[in-house]
Amino acid sequence: MKPTFWGIFLLAIFILRTVKMQAQGPPIYTGTPILLGLDGGGIRTFGKYISKENATAHVQPIAIPYNFTAKLQVGTIVPFVRKSPDGLGANSGLGDVVAFAKYLLFQKDGSGKTFRVMARVKETFPTAKKDEMPALGSGAYQTDVGLVGGYVSTKIGLYGEVGYNFTSDNLPDNLIYNLAVGLPLLPQQYPPKQLNVFLEFTGNHVTSQKQNTLFIAPGIQAILGRRLLFESGIQLPLTQDVPDGQKTNFIFLLGTRVLIF
Amino acid sequence: MKKILFLTTVMAFLAIAGLNAQTSSNASEDQRVSVKVDGLACPFCAYGLEKKIKDIEGSKEVKIDLKSGLLTFQMQKGKAISEETIRNKVKDAGFTPREISFSETSLKTKENE
Repeated sequence: MKPTFWGIFLLAIFILRTVKMQAQGPPIYTGTPILLGLDGGGIRTFGKYISKENATAHVQPIAIPYNFTAKLQVGTIVPFVRKSPDGLGANSGLGDVVAFAKYLLFQKDGSGKTFRVMARVKETFPTAKKDEMPALGSGAYQTDVGLVGGYVSTKIGLYGEVGYNFTSDNLPDNLIYNLAVGLPLLPQQYPPKQLNVFLEFTGNHVTSQKQNTLFIAPGIQAILGRRLLFESGIQLPLTQDVPDGQKTNFIFLLGTRVLIF
Repeated sequence: MKKILFLTTVMAFLAIAGLNAQTSSNASEDQRVSVKVDGLACPFCAYGLEKKIKDIEGSKEVKIDLKSGLLTFQMQKGKAISEETIRNKVKDAGFTPREISFSETSLKTKENE
């Protein structure tokens, strides 16, 4: 019997809940509605090694968020991209630059727990070279509007994200959906010294072509003090409705977040 | 005679009360502030709260206990802080302030007990 998405997710929660743990850090792939600490006023960078059927790619984005208030965050993501198709020469350079804004819509705090919902808008600008092969960007403007929700207690963190990406130049729009559960391996303390584990699901549904891609993404994260975080994860495909030759084998991520403000 | 006795008692009472007040004031070097904070669910996001409190002039010894959700700090002698200021600082840091208590007992004295 093929395991379903919800089956795996619920099983993961059950397994993780049986281990006695405390609070955790921000998820690795899924957004967080908590715009504090290392997810606000810091620099985040991560290297992504993407292995596809007939190509490999390395993406190194640098994200710089800035919190105007505890509820409003703006920022930019500048990616460096290197693509190496099999049998062709590699191409590298600046990818499509992203500007984003996040606003906290709802916040309900309790003792040692919080539930928050945030709205986000991301605008992707076609700044990458698109005339050379392989193209480094989409060549189109993209507007992503979404909601991110999260419940974080002293025992578990659950995060969900849904967004719709509107594209220009007749490219297909897509629905983005992510889920994450996270738990720490070490007792909570402040200043933080944490080792956290995550299990995430990252999905992308191309609406016009009814193509669905879903990855399972286990990850680990180390928070070493107030200002420094290291994280790593791997995305493995569960479902890929894409043309032959374009399928993804895996995506490996290694990253860091440094709080500067 | 009764009048004299009454006045003497009142004066003695006032003198003792004044002496006590003076002793209490001399004993406390700093004011200790404790704030119950809701929403403190992750250690990594508590940094903003620590920073906001450290920005308050005269604040020191800022401590955050995640288990109890308690923020404690000391105000230097002569530096006053209002409950409203503390509440605003906690809100600006992205959390929800609850009960706030002020104590004349310094943190060092408390720890030594």
